[in-house]
Amino acid sequence: MTATEPRTVRSLDDPDIWVDTPATIFDAVPPYPPRTEREAEFYHLRDGEMLLNLGPQHPSTHGVLRVVLKIDGERVVDLDPVLGYLHRGVEKICENGDWHHAISNCDPLEYVASMFSEAMPVLAAEKLLDLKVPRRAEYIRVLAWELNRIASHSLFMGWLALDLGGLTPILYGFIERDEIVEMLAALTGQRLLFNYLRIGGVNGDLTHDFMSRLGDWMGHAGKQIETTTKLLNENEIFVRRTRGLGVIDRETALRTLCSGPVLRATGVPYDVRRAHPYSVYPELEFDVPTRTEGDSYARYLLHVDEVRESMRIIDQVLHDMPDGPVMAKIPRMIRIPPARAFIAVESPRGQYACYAMSDGSDQPFRLRIHDPSFFNLQVVGLVMPGNLIADTMAIMASLDPVMGGIDK
Amino acid sequence: MDPRLRRRIERTFADDLRGPINQRLDTTEMRIGAASVTTVMRTLHDDPELDFKVLADLAGVDTGSEMWVVYHLWSAQSPDWLRVIVDGLSRDDPRVPSVTFLWNGADWAEREAYDMFGIIFEGNRDLRRIYMPPDYTSFPLRKDFLLPDDAARSPGEGFRHMEQTHQPAEQLRQPVLRDAKDSLAPDRGPRQ
Repeated sequence: MTATEPRTVRSLDDPDIWVDTPATIFDAVPPYPPRTEREAEFYHLRDGEMLLNLGPQHPSTHGVLRVVLKIDGERVVDLDPVLGYLHRGVEKICENGDWHHAISNCDPLEYVASMFSEAMPVLAAEKLLDLKVPRRAEYIRVLAWELNRIASHSLFMGWLALDLGGLTPILYGFIERDEIVEMLAALTGQRLLFNYLRIGGVNGDLTHDFMSRLGDWMGHAGKQIETTTKLLNENEIFVRRTRGLGVIDRETALRTLCSGPVLRATGVPYDVRRAHPYSVYPELEFDVPTRTEGDSYARYLLHVDEVRESMRIIDQVLHDMPDGPVMAKIPRMIRIPPARAFIAVESPRGQYACYAMSDGSDQPFRLRIHDPSFFNLQVVGLVMPGNLIADTMAIMASLDPVMGGIDK
Repeated sequence: MDPRLRRRIERTFADDLRGPINQRLDTTEMRIGAASVTTVMRTLHDDPELDFKVLADLAGVDTGSEMWVVYHLWSAQSPDWLRVIVDGLSRDDPRVPSVTFLWNGADWAEREAYDMFGIIFEGNRDLRRIYMPPDYTSFPLRKDFLLPDDAARSPGEGFRHMEQTHQPAEQLRQPVLRDAKDSLAPDRGPRQ
């Protein structure tokens, strides 16, 4: 079917009628016959049901996500997330640039915590080369990762409250995040897409500006986090709107490939930093907090606990920071011998993984990015039906999706 | 490297393995055929000694001559990642059984592999494109899908002007007038 031919589309009033009106983006019903069993089932409406588009431009979707809700009154009966609005084919782009280009191409994937997504090609190339990274570089990486995790988590707390209608916590969240982001800007030169990690180390040693900002922040961060969380932890409205909502059980979370706080809130202590250690995490002392309730409130509390653990790690890293170079001695043009490697890191949203193949050239043969929000978002199909439309926000925000990584 | 895992896999899947087990750094790698995916995955997941409860990743690969589906698994019983490569899928009609009966979260990963490589996962109830629009016809991550700015692969070509980028490099070298119908230009999609 070409664009010039008249197309028959389903009427919005009655999906069983096909009309000649050209489809617009506002059509919830796709202007084509259903492609799969499941799509046919979803777009067949029973009495009293209607379809509602949530997104693509909706603030609570945290990016450009469109969710087609099938509703009966105020209740969600079923839903169909439609992805691809931010798709730019980063895996293909990476295959067509060399290994160094892949770092800045992977940066915008998880744009809230891009220190993790830019680590993908870096760690993959290092494992393909079996390269030893200087210890100081490893410590600086852990420091940057944990700072970025705190920045991302504090934004999450604000977002969750914002999607429930509370405006204040996001302001506190941004204060916290802004301090860290400015700090990382003093280290890397960028506020959002750091482009700081390099194959074999990091781009530049710690700067005086960074250290003095970090010292300032360390002095009051603990107190500030307590203040922010006190605003929500005991907040009657917040607790009643999130407790018992979007409950995911242990088995479902594992079968749905959830990871990160979503999985740990169900009681599974799966944290890649402990389950399959990388970098210098085996030398650091920290706990993997878990909760058993598996609801939105548990996910929120878990984020708070993780911020505390990250502070512990930062303390240790600063205490044990070794001296030495921050880059391994490698040639500028890297040709990686044919090999396959799989790496995973624990990002604020879960297991960020990468499967890389090299064919001996200076470019990746295949760079598969596994984004945790992609899989965490998938669980909405299981937990959303039966809830009120207003609660879809509370559930979706508690899964903390970042569309840059989901759409790749 | 985990020699215990290697021995256990060699013992359990003696009939299904297509080639030796590779071990490198922290990864154990086994190769199976499409016909044994269901039984191998079920055993890996259910056997208490193997206990691979976490499917860490599911990826499609186009090697240029054949298609692969690559699974990465994690188990508390072993310090290694387990990589299961399903190789030897034909590029014309790659078909592999779905693992959604074990991990229903593999649904979207399989949809992505279908969208990007055209790999058909038999048994997936919802195998439609996930990123590209529904009327899209090609598979972008296949190796024969060329990008208009694919100059990186051919350094001798130099740069092409913006208005020439709709033609692949081969056509620029042979300025033969083609009929629009039998043009070999691959479909590059609306989102390049």
